[in-house]
Amino acid sequence: MIRVAGELMGTPLRALRRSTAWWAVALGVIVLVTVAFWPAFRGASGISEAIEQMPAGVVQAFGLEDFGTPAGFLRGNLYELLVPLLLIGAGVAFVNSQTASDETAGRLELVLAQPVSHRAVYLGRAAAALIGLTILVVVIVAVQFAADAVFDLAIDGSRLAATIALCGLLAALHAAAGYSIAGARARPALVLGIGIGGAIAGYVVAALFPLSDALEPWSHLSPWDWAFGHNPLAHTTDAWRYVVLAAPAAALIGLGTWLVGRRDVSAA
Amino acid sequence: MTLSESAITIRDLVKRYDRIEAVRGISLDVRRGEVFGFLGPNGAGKTTTIRCLLGLLRPTSGAIHALDMDAAREGVNLRRRVAYVPGELRLPERLRAGDFIDSIGRLRGGFDGRRRDELARRLDLDVGRRLRDLSTGNRRKVALLIAFLSEADLLILDEPTNGLDPLMQHVFLELVAEARAAGSTVFLSSHVLAEVQRAADRVAVLRDGRVVAEGTVADLRARARQKVEVWFEGHVPSGDLAALPGLSGAITDGRRFTATLTGSVEPLLQVLARHRIASLLVEEPDLDEAFLGLYEAAA
Repeated sequence: MIRVAGELMGTPLRALRRSTAWWAVALGVIVLVTVAFWPAFRGASGISEAIEQMPAGVVQAFGLEDFGTPAGFLRGNLYELLVPLLLIGAGVAFVNSQTASDETAGRLELVLAQPVSHRAVYLGRAAAALIGLTILVVVIVAVQFAADAVFDLAIDGSRLAATIALCGLLAALHAAAGYSIAGARARPALVLGIGIGGAIAGYVVAALFPLSDALEPWSHLSPWDWAFGHNPLAHTTDAWRYVVLAAPAAALIGLGTWLVGRRDVSAA
Repeated sequence: MTLSESAITIRDLVKRYDRIEAVRGISLDVRRGEVFGFLGPNGAGKTTTIRCLLGLLRPTSGAIHALDMDAAREGVNLRRRVAYVPGELRLPERLRAGDFIDSIGRLRGGFDGRRRDELARRLDLDVGRRLRDLSTGNRRKVALLIAFLSEADLLILDEPTNGLDPLMQHVFLELVAEARAAGSTVFLSSHVLAEVQRAADRVAVLRDGRVVAEGTVADLRARARQKVEVWFEGHVPSGDLAALPGLSGAITDGRRFTATLTGSVEPLLQVLARHRIASLLVEEPDLDEAFLGLYEAAA
């Protein structure tokens, strides 16, 4: 039983090895290069003044408040949009490649004809995708902390770790949404569309709705607001923020797994 | 036939996709230990039936039992005793053939390494190569190797010789015979009449989602149409030939005679033996032509 479960997770993990490595290199380089610019920004009053000239809404929407501080610098450059969006892209791509894409290409046909349930096969692939995502989060944490030490970017380590963890959970939530779609119907375009499109829509809701008094209350419906609405680099993160991201992610994985056992397997 | 005598029992199987009815009420019995040919042109419903049998598709209606198990409810237990070669074969490209075989083996409780090596040698398959670097035929060998390595009670082979050269087709037939001798049932789906008739004991012919004929290979051969072309040294004995049973569509063009023959070729040979002939061609028809009569009757 354990051997079979290990195999159901191990094969997709091996398949994701190369893409995980490339995503890790890309994210690591982005973090490193961004932090490397910190010494140039530190104490450069001109940039802060330029930001102050911008409309308050734009500054807020793009997370440019306190850009001259370490927390503001990292938020505006990395953790307001870029890193979470890239992690979401990686998570959704991992899930899609191991479920809907493999299934519609016919690469699951022989595996699903073995003495394992279709739900177990899909669940193993969801687990592999989440492990791949976790590896990326660990790489970002490691590169960020190492770069902070090298480039003398003094920031609270626990808040930084919490921010990156929230990025990972936000990505897991969108990957889980993609997985639930794959469980319902193996349509790669739909999985990518819902996963990535949902992320962009969520960002727009969280970033732009607060600019309108009428729309502002709706901004709290966005997972981006749940994750970053309190500016986790500057403030302590309450436990509920992790829960509201992790719980629906788990529920969506459960839903996708249940649905896949109730439908036909797509043919090549 | 009772369930325990039967390897596969299909009753009134219907599979509908939206408005398309791929399978329209198939009923079949496959006996334990036999090689059963499942013939039909592309799109006849063979693969859909097989995928329902394996639990990859959910039948719209009807029942499938295999090895005394309900395919819909006991899919995992059934697949433990079934090996399958898909017709449309897609494999994970980055893996090496050997790693993929071992991976499937772990899902089935492990394969015998010595038997794996022996089968790889007989199939002339290099298991150290990546799957993406293998030709269509060699990928087919990977799936065949897994199927025969599984030592399953029921082998379901969908177009198993696609891409195999004649030498490997011969090896395949040997492996089928060995599996049968070991007590396995072989369900052999194909659109190639010659392949099935070499291996199968009994055959069902499918057309447009329905079984249009079922019987022994000899029965169906007797009902199949063959093209006959004879070049005579002298004149064509039209009178003798016209009286032959099963001969139709006769055309005489100088010393060349062509016709369609249904049933045994023996009466024709007896007539030809009385005349001097330059050449004789009894052509294996393609499936559609061979069973045209059956299809027309079914329509």
